[in-house]
Amino acid sequence: MEHQCHWNEVANIFLPREATIVQAVQATPTEKHFTLKMSDGQPMEFEPGQIVELGLLGYGEIPIGFASSPTRTESFDLVVRSVGRVSGAVCKLEEGDTVNVRGPLGHGFDLDKLRGRDVLVVAGGIGLCPTRSLIQYILDRRDEFERFVLFYGSREPCLQLFGDDLACWRGMQEMEYHETVDNADPSWTGNVGVITTLFPKVQLSPETRAVICGPPIFYRFVIRELDAIGIPRENVFVDLERRMKCGVGKCGHCQINDKYVCVDGPVFSFADVQDLEEAF
Amino acid sequence: MTTSFIRSDDFAAFLTAMMEAVPVYGPVAKRSRFVFERLEAPDELRLDYDVTILPPKKLFFPPAQDLLRFDEAGVEAALEPTEKVLLGVHFYDVKAIDQTDLLFSERNYDVNYMGHRETTTIVASNIQNVSGRAFFASVGTDVQPEGHDAFLTAIEGGYVFETRTERGEALLGYGAFQPATDAQIDEAARVNAAALEQCPEKLEHGTEEIATKVRAAFGDDELWNELAADCFSCGTCNTVCPTCYCFDVQDTWNVDQSGQRTRFWDGCLTEDFAKCSLGDGGSENFREQRGQRFRHRIMRKATYLNEKLGGPACVGCGRCSAGCTADIADPVRVINRIMAS
Ligand code: SF4
Ligand code: SF4
Repeated sequence: MEHQCHWNEVANIFLPREATIVQAVQATPTEKHFTLKMSDGQPMEFEPGQIVELGLLGYGEIPIGFASSPTRTESFDLVVRSVGRVSGAVCKLEEGDTVNVRGPLGHGFDLDKLRGRDVLVVAGGIGLCPTRSLIQYILDRRDEFERFVLFYGSREPCLQLFGDDLACWRGMQEMEYHETVDNADPSWTGNVGVITTLFPKVQLSPETRAVICGPPIFYRFVIRELDAIGIPRENVFVDLERRMKCGVGKCGHCQINDKYVCVDGPVFSFADVQDLEEAF
Repeated sequence: MTTSFIRSDDFAAFLTAMMEAVPVYGPVAKRSRFVFERLEAPDELRLDYDVTILPPKKLFFPPAQDLLRFDEAGVEAALEPTEKVLLGVHFYDVKAIDQTDLLFSERNYDVNYMGHRETTTIVASNIQNVSGRAFFASVGTDVQPEGHDAFLTAIEGGYVFETRTERGEALLGYGAFQPATDAQIDEAARVNAAALEQCPEKLEHGTEEIATKVRAAFGDDELWNELAADCFSCGTCNTVCPTCYCFDVQDTWNVDQSGQRTRFWDGCLTEDFAKCSLGDGGSENFREQRGQRFRHRIMRKATYLNEKLGGPACVGCGRCSAGCTADIADPVRVINRIMAS
């Protein structure tokens, strides 16, 4: 066999490391925001857009994108939506509890392709979690990027994530933040409508690099807007979600045609996946 | 490496000596069919088998394999591979093992497969009987079987034993081998060539031609829905395939508060394989239709992996064709049908 390694010299890719929850906040009725530290004190080194397998022994693992920037080395954030056996059990945990993590895994945002450019981030729903990693990164290294625009769409005001961040971003000079909700409530004074209603509010250059993350149908509508601006599709990056088990390119669940989302992605250039019939 | 001969009369003693030194796995009869199993006695070995129910991948990638074990004290890897010999693998299954070797070792090297694989000495053997749905002679014909340590061919009066690696060479010590004569070597070559003439099924086109045309048929929903119309989504065609290696991972508890994380064979033809929960009871199934799942398997066997593997991810064993209750899984029929359209 022509491979370099020998089984007894290599770490087991399924062996997790322990992390401790340093803060746990119920962000929405179904989503909980965890701040974690590796229990051995080592920093978690990753790139924005990468994922971890977050696990609880006896329950299982789920793939989750980092929701904080690697520039903030003290700790890292993960937002967990309670939808199943594993995520349900994790969402019952509180400060001081421990979890298991494997990662970082996968291919994140190509920061070199964004540096020195105008950047537009379009996030829908929990798509704000993985993109928050990039948003924080850009804010922390603001002079490495040009103009920075963020669009965030939610179904309802009460489902907005990262309320403290949003409050801060609304008035920020360093970024142009625009938000919308599909269905307003009496407290809401902002824009109402789907994500595409934000596009007329800003004038974007075709040279802009765009990042999209949201529910499956979101992509089609946003791409149409970006096409209209004239942004080439190789300059559009999408962060895709799939069912995943192993996170290391073996188990097959996350395949889109011939790509494995967990190792080839989750971030892809739109040009690379637009012709994959199963992508959107 | 060397080519030797062992007389039929000495073969049982060779097996016995080897089995005393190391566990030996090989094809044995199970009612009217065959399975790879650990040999208890030399006469259990059935080198005249046509095809086994499950491919030999189960030795490296068991249907249920513990990845981790845990208890209150912590967590550890469960892998404990042991040296063994796997005897009597047909060349099409060796080609399949070459593929899973590559796929489990590339990018993220998976010790849970590779540990078992690297501790196994593989002796391939000639095909004495051809199964009713085999087409190994017409698929991926440019790809040669690599990952075996020796090759055994039954000829008149005994076996020709060609070693391919040091590990294969080491097996010579267990038996009364003598150098093979030119006539014996020629006879072995003739025997192996003759098996290729006996496949009941045949692909009519070359690998690249097939890949291009099958890939181009991706968008023909009507075709895929029709091909998959009778599919039970049972996943048998995945389970029996030597090149399928998808899995599910589940944690389970024991009564004493310990537990294990285990991977189980899974198949892309089953209904929920690509389904994600999205919350609020909602979900998204990225291959919801039978036709989409059926198409994914054919695409994987005939096109997606060709570049990486140097040939198709189907080795023509015919197990899926024979195993499918609806008799729709046969890659030859599917591919020949697409090629004819
Ligand atoms: S093609 Fe046949 S074997 Fe495969 S899932 Fe469908 S019915 Fe089962
Ligand atoms: S697709 Fe069918 S014939 Fe091809 S290798 Fe798999 S089981 Fe054998």
